[in-house]
Amino acid sequence: MLITRDLVKRYGPQLALDGVSLDIGRGEFFGLLGPNGAGKSTFMSLVAGLRPPDAGSLTLDGVAVTTADPSTRTALGLVPQSIALFEDLSAEQNLRVFGELYGLRGALLRERIDEALEAVQLADRRRDQVKKFSGGMQRRLNLVVSLLHRPKLLLCDEPTVGIDPQSRNAIFDFLEARNREGLTIIYSTHYMEEATRLCSRIGIIDHGRIHALGTLEELLTRLPFADEIAFPATPFTAEFAARLAEHGELTTADGEHLFRSRPEFKTSAFYALAEECQLPARLFVTRRPTLEALFLHLTGRTLRE
Amino acid sequence: MRVILTLVRKDIANFLRNRPAVVITFLVPIALIYIFGFVFGLNGKDNGPTGIRLGVVNESASPAAQKLVDALKGEKTFRVISVDYTAKPEHPLTEADARRLIHDREFNFALVIPSDFIPDRGLGLRLKILSDPRNEIETQTVNGLLQKTIFSNVPQLLGQSLQASAKRFLGDERTKKFNADLAGAVTSAFGGDAEETRQTIESGGIGAVLGGDSATANTQPKADFFSRLVKIENVQIAGKDVKSPAATRVVGGWAMMFLLFAVSAGSAAFFDEKNAGLFQRLLSAPVRRSQLLWSRFVYGILLGLVQLTTLFCAGRLLYGIDVFGHFGNLVVVCTAAAAACAAFGMFIAAFSPNAQAANGLSTFLVLTMSATGGAWFPIGLMPEFMQRIAKFTLVYWSMEGFSRVLWAGNSLVELLPTVGILLAIAAGVMAVAIWRFNRGAVFD
Ligand SMILES: Nc1ncnc2c1ncn2[C@@H]1O[C@H](COP(=O)(O)OP(=O)(O)O)[C@@H](O)[C@H]1O
Ligand SMILES: [Mg+2]
Repeated sequence: MLITRDLVKRYGPQLALDGVSLDIGRGEFFGLLGPNGAGKSTFMSLVAGLRPPDAGSLTLDGVAVTTADPSTRTALGLVPQSIALFEDLSAEQNLRVFGELYGLRGALLRERIDEALEAVQLADRRRDQVKKFSGGMQRRLNLVVSLLHRPKLLLCDEPTVGIDPQSRNAIFDFLEARNREGLTIIYSTHYMEEATRLCSRIGIIDHGRIHALGTLEELLTRLPFADEIAFPATPFTAEFAARLAEHGELTTADGEHLFRSRPEFKTSAFYALAEECQLPARLFVTRRPTLEALFLHLTGRTLRE
Repeated sequence: MRVILTLVRKDIANFLRNRPAVVITFLVPIALIYIFGFVFGLNGKDNGPTGIRLGVVNESASPAAQKLVDALKGEKTFRVISVDYTAKPEHPLTEADARRLIHDREFNFALVIPSDFIPDRGLGLRLKILSDPRNEIETQTVNGLLQKTIFSNVPQLLGQSLQASAKRFLGDERTKKFNADLAGAVTSAFGGDAEETRQTIESGGIGAVLGGDSATANTQPKADFFSRLVKIENVQIAGKDVKSPAATRVVGGWAMMFLLFAVSAGSAAFFDEKNAGLFQRLLSAPVRRSQLLWSRFVYGILLGLVQLTTLFCAGRLLYGIDVFGHFGNLVVVCTAAAAACAAFGMFIAAFSPNAQAANGLSTFLVLTMSATGGAWFPIGLMPEFMQRIAKFTLVYWSMEGFSRVLWAGNSLVELLPTVGILLAIAAGVMAVAIWRFNRGAVFD
């Protein structure tokens, strides 16, 4: 559906996209996972035809995306990273404005508006000014505005930033339902949990480059270790941690050490070393590795940086 | 104390970082004070207005009349226009010419020296002032200055009138005798050479003899005395039938100020939309950049039109300004003025990097343009180069349009040049704004 080849985008000297090539198929729920400044929004804006790429090509259903011809844009919907609503207008008025811009009129428009408000549980607040909405309500409206015209491809740029868990779940459920109905979604986020839960395929992006691409399982097999072992970071464990460092990656965060062993360093060897240091086995918790670990492994940075 | 100092330091740093605020605080007042200074004659040694265009029609053959014309030409306050420069070939101005040129807005005031300037019967002088008093301050200033110039020359002029009457009543011989006696009496009372005084009296200089040197003497008490001898007929060329002249004169300037401020608020709102990512969302829909810009422009025109119409209707309700008598023409001028203002708003948005800068730039431009364009005080009182600058402001042409409709009651055809200029300003400013938008980073 969407094919990009070697997309390059610069802002002055700043290289925001550095050769991005992606094939996104019909019905995919594609995740673009990367920290702030990775180039996610820039990628979205190129696909939406807001900016021209400096190099590379971009086709949607075989048609080149250009900034010049806005008529091709009815096939896609963009959910901007910021809340892009007329905040003095009501929810309904916002929907009406954008619906009309996409050529919807009369009874059809009214029907779609009712449907949209219903879908994100805002029907009872339809006449309230958007600026009086909570962050979560604004986010939900921000999302549904982009679907009024029933696009084939939805671009969601970090649609859950600064939101309460309840609204977040409502958005997840909503997007999953639309995806099941056949909507293709590109979803950018810096939350690995979101990518893990939602996406059928994930691209890991940093500094404008795609570092890894595949399903969650495929990505995790790229890690040189099977599990992560967590234990408290205290003076008692300091010596043990120091000795572990030569057998794999050790990171420390929030008073906790996280160890990812090299393949040759077996779990039995780990526990033998712990016993040597007189640390009881109950201190250790074994976890499945996460995308966070993969990101760290690939880039040497954490997603929250 | 520490806390307060830290917070004050924070405020100063904040202020200095905010360039528009610095500009508004320092540059705008300095620019305005400079303009005020011109109007109120504070700049350098000069004082009072200069170069006010004054038509002068001289129908009198009397040398005294020519003296008065020369005296007016010598006043730097006035730029005397004594020929009809619009005609080919040019010819001395007649009263009919002057009336037409005033109607055509070439100048607002003309002094007519009629053929019976020095009347056959009775003592005194006759003069006529033609005026289009569309601006109160300007009219008062010009009338005051004109009277001052006339009265400070009146002793001379009056002397001739006196001599003419004397000849009529006494005959040549007896006049000579009278003059000689008078000269004798004057010299014995005040001193001086009797023969020289007699000659002065004969040439009409009795005023000079009686009143001392007219150029340097205090003219005020004499003016009271002479004003009874000088008959000045005032003829108002335009605005005679205006129902509430005072309000009609000022309403245009006020309306323009508020319109400009409304438009500038609109250009700041442009940036709110940009920042909220609304531009991105709009442009990801089937909407072109140009459509985004033109929609703003059209909205600006509508807002301006409704605002102006409302203000004029308020003027009708509060002060009885005759709005409905010229409603159609007024709407035409309001539309053209609103278009120019809307383009101006787009211009500000195009050249400002953010809302703050847009506010600063528009405050600066609105205030200076209102001042130079004549919204606050008559541009006729400004130096000539400022008057030339004024003609580049949309404020000037909008006010011109309003006063043509409400004051002079111009017809639609007569309005066309003014409306055309306003629309040309709108088109030119909008073209620059669009050019700038397309090159700038507004959409990034
Ligand atoms: N309009 C812009 N002008 C200049 N630099 C920009 C602009 N937008 C983004 N950037 C830079 O490009 C890089 C990628 O930004 P962005 O695509 O917004 O990343 P993300 O959405 O992943 O946080 C960042 O370094 C950012 O600072
Ligand atoms: Mg982003």
